[in-house]
Amino acid sequence: MTAPVLTPPRAAAAPSGGAGLSRAVRAEWIKLWSVRSTGWSVAAMVALGAGLTTLVCALVARDLADGQTGEPVGAFITWGLVFAQVTAVVLGALTVTSEYGTGMIRATLAATPRRGTVLAAKALVLTATLFVAGVVTAFLGWLGGNAFLSAEGIGIGLGDDGMVRSLLGSGLYMAGLGLFAMAAGLLLRSTAAVVSVVLALVFLVGNLVMLLPGALGEWLTKLMPGNAGSRIAAPETFNPVLLEPWTGFAVFAAEVAVLLAVAAVVFTRRDA
Amino acid sequence: MIVASRLTKRYGERLAVDSVSFTVRPGRVTGFLGPNGAGKSTTMRMVIGLDRPTSGTVTVDGARYADSPAPLRAVGALLEARALHPGRTARAHLRWMAASNAIPRARVEEVLGLVGLEAVADQRVGRFSLGMGQRLGIAAALLGDPPVVVLDEPVNGLDPEGIRWVRTLARDLAAEGRTVLVSSHLMAEMALTADHLVVIGRGRVLADCSTAEFIAEHAASFVTVRTPQPAQLAELLRRSGADVTCDGDELRVQGADTVTTGELAAGAGVVLHELGLVTSSLEEAFMTLTAGSVEYAAARPAEVTR
Repeated sequence: MTAPVLTPPRAAAAPSGGAGLSRAVRAEWIKLWSVRSTGWSVAAMVALGAGLTTLVCALVARDLADGQTGEPVGAFITWGLVFAQVTAVVLGALTVTSEYGTGMIRATLAATPRRGTVLAAKALVLTATLFVAGVVTAFLGWLGGNAFLSAEGIGIGLGDDGMVRSLLGSGLYMAGLGLFAMAAGLLLRSTAAVVSVVLALVFLVGNLVMLLPGALGEWLTKLMPGNAGSRIAAPETFNPVLLEPWTGFAVFAAEVAVLLAVAAVVFTRRDA
Repeated sequence: MIVASRLTKRYGERLAVDSVSFTVRPGRVTGFLGPNGAGKSTTMRMVIGLDRPTSGTVTVDGARYADSPAPLRAVGALLEARALHPGRTARAHLRWMAASNAIPRARVEEVLGLVGLEAVADQRVGRFSLGMGQRLGIAAALLGDPPVVVLDEPVNGLDPEGIRWVRTLARDLAAEGRTVLVSSHLMAEMALTADHLVVIGRGRVLADCSTAEFIAEHAASFVTVRTPQPAQLAELLRRSGADVTCDGDELRVQGADTVTTGELAAGAGVVLHELGLVTSSLEEAFMTLTAGSVEYAAARPAEVTR
């Protein structure tokens, strides 16, 4: 073993390289991309999202062109995101639950004791990653799916109503959902618990409330996070009850913000 | 310098750390000694702000850890070897830590070399042995070249060569003028490493003194003698100033060594059947001290709350 080669101690030098947040963001970025699960999650999102959109468009293009289905064409062009969103939930959860699961959170908080800074850095890195991944996924899905739709003469151009909004909206929805899962992760601290709870909320509860009678069922349907937030990611919808794209996204963003705020309070108060 | 002042941590009903005060000075290795569950780790977690004290304060070089703009440059800590993501490589682990405190990347390579992990730097740490994980934890603690180093049970899982290496490292760090706090539940290890001891039991400080003082005070030795004339020998020894307790034909003598005892007996014509020296080990002294921690804490309040 080599003898220690350390310089004599000195008072902690004022660190160069910007404010605490930018350093924390750099650290979180290195963390995010130095584990395999991130690459797999993003690859799965693109493959599932773009692949399933292309597949469903290939399967339904003829029937849609015949006008026999009565379904809006624009609801299919980002259809794969229904499944791709699972990966956003997983990635969002993992950014915090993997740290609690391994004890890493203590190293994180020793390096950056300001918990608000840690939370902001994690949120920024996750948002950027999921936004880009979501937009790329939706764009590739549009490329693939639209080839089949165009062949039947019912293609949707980028200039068409709501298409660009849907591509960007896919990124926004993925980022929002990832943040929602991250906030849930801070509260539940277990990957399995977060993924089950958030997916149950989006897939199961979000659809079950439609069965409730009258205005109550209608409003709960409008307000459930998955229903409110995902409308922005498609030019048209199968479900006419849903809120308008930006209205729905505003509701979803508010829900994410509330959960994040609760998580931030708990995270700041709790011992690591 | 680490200064803990009436530091207290309560988890529900349980008082894990109970009004603990001590000072860890630079330039020497301070051993933080206590049985498992005594409150060592909790105290160390409070030093670096992971746990919030119920009351009391702890500062590092006059400031709260959390207020440091780049805490890894102020305090290097090894708290748990396994505070690592198993899927990340050793190098990546050190790189994110370096980035978080604006520590130059070259320093990552430096500490990897320092702990002897260069060859496995790009392996995922999930495959590391306990000892390799411990070395990585120490590399992380030294990353910011901090003037204060806190190591919680650093020799856990290390082989004998690794244990010697940690011991040397701790002593070298102190010799460079750093403040070094090393915890252990092994008295023998601390006796070899530490210049100063803070002994803790059931959340309270039981002793805060130099290692030499601790050994002198607690690792008692006494002479045993067996003789057919116990009363006569006891009288002789007492007259010479020793403490004697009798048990049949056996005497226990404190305050006189085997030479004095033998010569006294010979001078008076007392027959000896047996003459021996019994030294209680430091480990035993430590066990006795911590087992009776309540009485000790009550008996030595001046030292506890100074």
